[in-house]
Amino acid sequence: MMGHWIIAPVVLPAIVAGLMIILLRGSLRLQRLASVASIVALNGIAIALLWAATIHGPEAYHLGNWPAPFGIVLVLDRLSALMVALLSALALAVVLYTIGSRWDQKGAHFHPLLQFLLMGIAGAFLTGDAFNLFVFFEVLLIASYGLMVHAGGAARTRVAVQYVGFNLIGSALFLIALALVYGVTGTLNMADLAVKLPDLPEGDVALIRVAAVMLILVFAIKGALVPLQFWLPGTYANAPGVVAAMFAVMTKIGAYATLRVGTLVFPPDLPATGDLLSTLLFPASLVTLAVGAIGVLGATTLPRLAAFGGIASMGTAFLALSAFTPQTTVAALYYILHATLATALLFLVSDLVTRRRAHARLDQATAPIAGSGLIASLYLVAAIAMAGMPPLSGFIGKLLILDAFRDQAPLVWTVILVSSFLMILGFARAGSTLFWKPADSEAPPADHPPEAFCMTATFGLIAGLALLTIFAGPVTDWLATLADALDQPTGYIEANRLGQEP
Amino acid sequence: MSLALIAALPFLGALLPGLAIRAGRNACAASAGSVTLLALILLALKVPTVLAGGVVHTRVDWLPALGLNANFMLDGLGLLFALMILGIGLLIILYARFYLETTDPMGQFYVFLMLFQGAMLGIVLSDNILLLLIFWELTSLSSFLLIGYWKHLPEGRQGARMALAVTGGGGLFLIAGLLILGGIVGSYDLTMILAQKDAIQASDWYLPALILILLGAFTKSAQFPFHFWLPHAMAAPTPVSAYLHSATMVKAGIYLMARLWPVLAGTPEWFWIVATAGLVTMVLGAGIAFFKDDLKAVLAFSTVSHLGLITMLLGFGTKAAATVAVFHIINHATFKAALFMSAGIVDHAAHTRDLSRLGGLRKLMPVTFGIVLLASLSMAGIPPLNGFLSKELMLEEAAHTTWISPWAMGLLATTGALFSVAYSFRLLAHGFLGPPRTDYPAMPHDPGAGLWSAPAFLVLLVVLIGVFPMATAAWLVDAAAGAVTGQPVAVEIHHWHGLGSAALWMSLTATGGGLLMLGAFPRLRAVWGAAPRPEAKRLFDGLIEPLAAAARSLTGLVHNGSFNRAVAVAVLAIAGVSLWAFLGGSHAAGTRSLLPVDFTSLSVWGLMVAAALATPFLHRDRVVALLLTGVVGLLIAPLFAVFSAPDLALTQISVEVVTILLMLLALHFLPRTTPAESTFPRRLADAGIAAIAGLGIGWLAWAMLTRQPAFAPISHFHLAQSKPGAGGTNAVNTIIVDFRGYDTYGEIIVLGIAALVIFALSETLLRSPAVTRRLANLPRPREDGDRHPMMLVVATRFLLPMALMVGVYVYLRGHNLPGGGFVAGLVFAIAYLMQYMASGYEWSQARQRHDHHVLIGWGVLIASLCGVGAWVAGLPFLTSGFDYVHLWPLEEFELATAAIFDLGVFLCVLGAVLLALASLSRLALRTGEAPNTRPFDIDPAMRDR
Amino acid sequence: MEALLASLIGVLTFTGVYLLLRQRTFPVILGLTFLSYAVNLFLFAAGRLVVNAAPIIGRSQTYADPLPQALVLTAIVISFGMTAVMMILAVGGHLASGHDRVNTGDEPTEDAG
Repeated sequence: MMGHWIIAPVVLPAIVAGLMIILLRGSLRLQRLASVASIVALNGIAIALLWAATIHGPEAYHLGNWPAPFGIVLVLDRLSALMVALLSALALAVVLYTIGSRWDQKGAHFHPLLQFLLMGIAGAFLTGDAFNLFVFFEVLLIASYGLMVHAGGAARTRVAVQYVGFNLIGSALFLIALALVYGVTGTLNMADLAVKLPDLPEGDVALIRVAAVMLILVFAIKGALVPLQFWLPGTYANAPGVVAAMFAVMTKIGAYATLRVGTLVFPPDLPATGDLLSTLLFPASLVTLAVGAIGVLGATTLPRLAAFGGIASMGTAFLALSAFTPQTTVAALYYILHATLATALLFLVSDLVTRRRAHARLDQATAPIAGSGLIASLYLVAAIAMAGMPPLSGFIGKLLILDAFRDQAPLVWTVILVSSFLMILGFARAGSTLFWKPADSEAPPADHPPEAFCMTATFGLIAGLALLTIFAGPVTDWLATLADALDQPTGYIEANRLGQEP
Repeated sequence: MSLALIAALPFLGALLPGLAIRAGRNACAASAGSVTLLALILLALKVPTVLAGGVVHTRVDWLPALGLNANFMLDGLGLLFALMILGIGLLIILYARFYLETTDPMGQFYVFLMLFQGAMLGIVLSDNILLLLIFWELTSLSSFLLIGYWKHLPEGRQGARMALAVTGGGGLFLIAGLLILGGIVGSYDLTMILAQKDAIQASDWYLPALILILLGAFTKSAQFPFHFWLPHAMAAPTPVSAYLHSATMVKAGIYLMARLWPVLAGTPEWFWIVATAGLVTMVLGAGIAFFKDDLKAVLAFSTVSHLGLITMLLGFGTKAAATVAVFHIINHATFKAALFMSAGIVDHAAHTRDLSRLGGLRKLMPVTFGIVLLASLSMAGIPPLNGFLSKELMLEEAAHTTWISPWAMGLLATTGALFSVAYSFRLLAHGFLGPPRTDYPAMPHDPGAGLWSAPAFLVLLVVLIGVFPMATAAWLVDAAAGAVTGQPVAVEIHHWHGLGSAALWMSLTATGGGLLMLGAFPRLRAVWGAAPRPEAKRLFDGLIEPLAAAARSLTGLVHNGSFNRAVAVAVLAIAGVSLWAFLGGSHAAGTRSLLPVDFTSLSVWGLMVAAALATPFLHRDRVVALLLTGVVGLLIAPLFAVFSAPDLALTQISVEVVTILLMLLALHFLPRTTPAESTFPRRLADAGIAAIAGLGIGWLAWAMLTRQPAFAPISHFHLAQSKPGAGGTNAVNTIIVDFRGYDTYGEIIVLGIAALVIFALSETLLRSPAVTRRLANLPRPREDGDRHPMMLVVATRFLLPMALMVGVYVYLRGHNLPGGGFVAGLVFAIAYLMQYMASGYEWSQARQRHDHHVLIGWGVLIASLCGVGAWVAGLPFLTSGFDYVHLWPLEEFELATAAIFDLGVFLCVLGAVLLALASLSRLALRTGEAPNTRPFDIDPAMRDR
Repeated sequence: MEALLASLIGVLTFTGVYLLLRQRTFPVILGLTFLSYAVNLFLFAAGRLVVNAAPIIGRSQTYADPLPQALVLTAIVISFGMTAVMMILAVGGHLASGHDRVNTGDEPTEDAG
């Protein structure tokens, strides 16, 4: 049993960030040190939590020692543990790359904001309380605003205004949905909701259905699901490369929350909502995938290409989620693990390229870049991963999803395979312009300092993808247990010990 | 394990050349070669087993849940292909060592080559069709790299992209097809699938699966109408062409058809699709080859034609035909690889591959001529060479196959043979025969043995197999054909089938006709030149480029960066979906007894509605808009007060004040007015959208307000436990700092982050010269009257200590009465804000000693540590304890750890507001506004003068 | 009384969304502010309307539901922080680009750092 450790992923970054603000504002070196140390520790904790969740099953942490549902609970189960682990692994790569690329010199408070972002995301993954989920959404969002606009610049700042504005609309919607949930059921604890909703009076069904779809739409905004995806391309393409890479996990929060709420609070067998969520998500995700794939083929700059690749991956992930069956959930989670690492990798590579290149445009070539051979092969790997081609995990994820959607093969398979084709075209065209097409002016490659940390980070992500591929069997088996637990969330609910002394 | 090892070797070997190149080109080639040789030897060890009719298996579980396993098998067919891949691969490695220029990055070349070799080997050794898929797509990827190897050549890049698009795209069809196939059988293991012929052919999914799989195979093997990519792949270095287009890449499709022949072949669908595609490809390819001038182009189309031949034979679906197909696979690989390498040699020597600029090489390059002579005679099907043998058998099969009409197949097959005779002879005649010329771009000469030994070896095979087919090739054909057909095969290959055999006359016709065609070349060429024909590349680009352009414009159109549109779409989507969800469930009107309207509320309501509705009309004057907003915001407070929420009222007021003041300060840096930009219809539309949102939310509020909760709200617990459990009578405050203190913890951190963001952004802004320039040019605030009115200044000076007192008081009473750390913090902040408003930034700034960061940091730390403190008592985060203290002159208040937490809140809030303020002032210091050093503009001391 | 509050929430939402659809940053910010007013009241409404029942133990017989009030408190604070950030972003955008339009063209990344 993990006890206090369950809240460590939230408190640790907060304390480190606080210390940075008070003591280390003067020295970037010390801030880097503290940041890395905290993230390394976070990784250790995450692994321990993962282990505990695997061995002991769901465990709740009653904050303030108040019984659920009256106080707030954190719940550690395989899903939350997995997401926290994914988060901390990605954070390690990102922080190393940040140090290597000196992005953190280009503005104030990068590391405290990063820590707060981790705190917010971890909190969102761990909480078992609907309103607390909102609070931690806000924590991670406001931190992300700061990171997004890090290092300034006209285009970046103006896009940030849109990003913030759009997400504030999302937050407003979130509050309305929560108000409805509390106004109708009188509770906010998700397990408590799971217990109470089946007995919901007939007359309240319509309102709770509205609340349900509103919640899903909020998560869809985070997950950039069509037609709520407009904020993403501009934001990701203009955010600093490292931040965009970190954001790879932020879209997944939308997917996580959808999965949690769609299996625990509004499961398909709940009379009130039934297949409401699936009916909503299925078509939207297909369109999202298409929009993303078309964007990859049509992108004008490398960062935008990466951004649309991200949209496509979210479409695929939500598609797999939308069925809410154990089999599809396994496929979805495996794909989410892959897509997070792959998207982050692509953004890091695109940053490697754009920082060495005269411009990021894909329609005209530039002088060859320093170390183009290595970077080109990194791009190749990232592209293979994003397009879901062998031998990397993307292909396995795609196979899992295709296999899981046999009964809707004609539609689903067509969309997935055609979008893969468009993405292959897009990545191939972009790559051959970036690395093969010689520029009109044969200037010698601008000398660029070798960045050991950056390479460590990118190769780390690649290693992650490779491991995910090689150990696909064990991973999917582990996920299968997870998916069954989501399908029958009794363990999660019992862990809350509703109404009893904690 | 060893099969998996054989399949893995090339991939492991792919690492070596990259390193070995440091040790020189020979080492580089040697490293690649030795690995290939090793794999070949390991393979050879398996030959006896396979020839004895055994099948070697290696099984490694990978993803059993999906049925994707690293299962390998080696039977006759696999052996045949594996031998070709590794054997010819070895020769290619040798050849490339001497072919590549010193300027070419050789390490890279061998890395790509080994990757490709591994992928090919994987295809032919896989016993699991999902695994096969993986290797299949890998060949597309690695061939993309190989074809684009000479990156400086545009046709190299385009050819590579085309090959990837066609073969990779075909691979996607194949995915679908194989998934269906596996679905029918219930397993993805070939061994299982191959045993399920009847089940597969009986299934309704047979035809879709067949078509999808064939699309994969045809694209890979350049069958009509997908043949066009292959010639464009010729931009690759010759070793690549020789490898990809003789023994490997394009043979993958053939392999797949042969592999699945037992379960897919034998149906009319199979016959019509496969045989027809093969036939058309054979004739078409041969015909085009005849007219090409580029040596490699001739060979490319000849390859297309021969692939068609093999496909056609597989299409017949008979054991005999399949056997011939297998035999021709071997023969074609031998002579075609030799010819490609020779073409490379000619190119090297004469610096051209253009038949119209060559000729007479026979004397200048005798060795090369010898090689080319034998190889192309075999290609033409002249006895006794191996090409002749398989061609004879092919014609025999064709003659006895009914396609449309009994004789059509035979006729067309003969035509195909005729064409291939023609282009083979033309290659010889125009390339090598005739008198030497004087105008070669470079003086041709035979190369060193390094270049010609590889093709020479292959030609040796051509002859040996041609002369002693039974001794040299029959064993392999039997094994492979046996594996394809699933029945024992004992092939009989002879040169002479007697005068009665149709094939004899057909090939005589073909040979004679071919010679005539060659003689008539100039005239035919003229006709060909005149005849309109589709140019594959233009068609392809005509397909892809518009696609890309469409994608570009569509993406640009949809994601044009319009925030307004995004919001409009979002609002409508939310409204629509919510309505749809609402209508999908039953809704009962509320039964709650409603409150009577009282005058105060009514008037407040009236004011707010008026202000809110006035804003859209008056919002262009931003100060007015801000004031209206402030009015609405402040009026919310009395509403809260009326409806029993004193804490909210208090908070609302203080937050509102701070917000409005901050906005006023920020307005310094923004235009004072908003230009009228949107047309009237647009505004009307916006109003419509807004109205939808308003009605929707309003209706929801009404539905909620008028009903009772379905279940007892959890807050009854908070009311019951507020005093005994949390030690405070103010339930709202106890919830904030105790029951749900964790929310507050997050909330104050949000504030802290907000301040950090504001600070960071103002920092970066000040770094940018453009920004500082604009700041300097900002219009000075209106100078009418004094900017810092004396009365206000004096008032605020008195206000400060009082406000601070109030703040402390509010903080202390918070736990039991409306108030608390948050409001206290705001009250403090307001007091400071007043100083800024009154005396300007510099004056106040100058009197701000400490850095506000520290406040925030401590706020976060204190809150966190207060939470962690509970661990000491073994209790969860944020568990609070309390005790009562009496501190004169204040009323008795209790000191709860919650109060320490509240202190964190207080510090965070204060720090956040002050830091935000300070950041704004740092911007203001750069504006044109003249800094003032005195507290206020009128100096009382100067009055009397 | 309930009708008053419901209609008020509706009107505030209307104004908020309308301003959100303007093309300059400042009105957009005001729009968000109006929206947050509406949302806070909506959240408050989840506790229904009661008069003279402040949830202070011992001050009255019946108590208003304290939980929504606490939630609204949190919401107010958060939206305050958000508005402040939005404000400085608007200022920054204006200072950095010389205008305060909210819609961006489909321009490529202006700089990679």
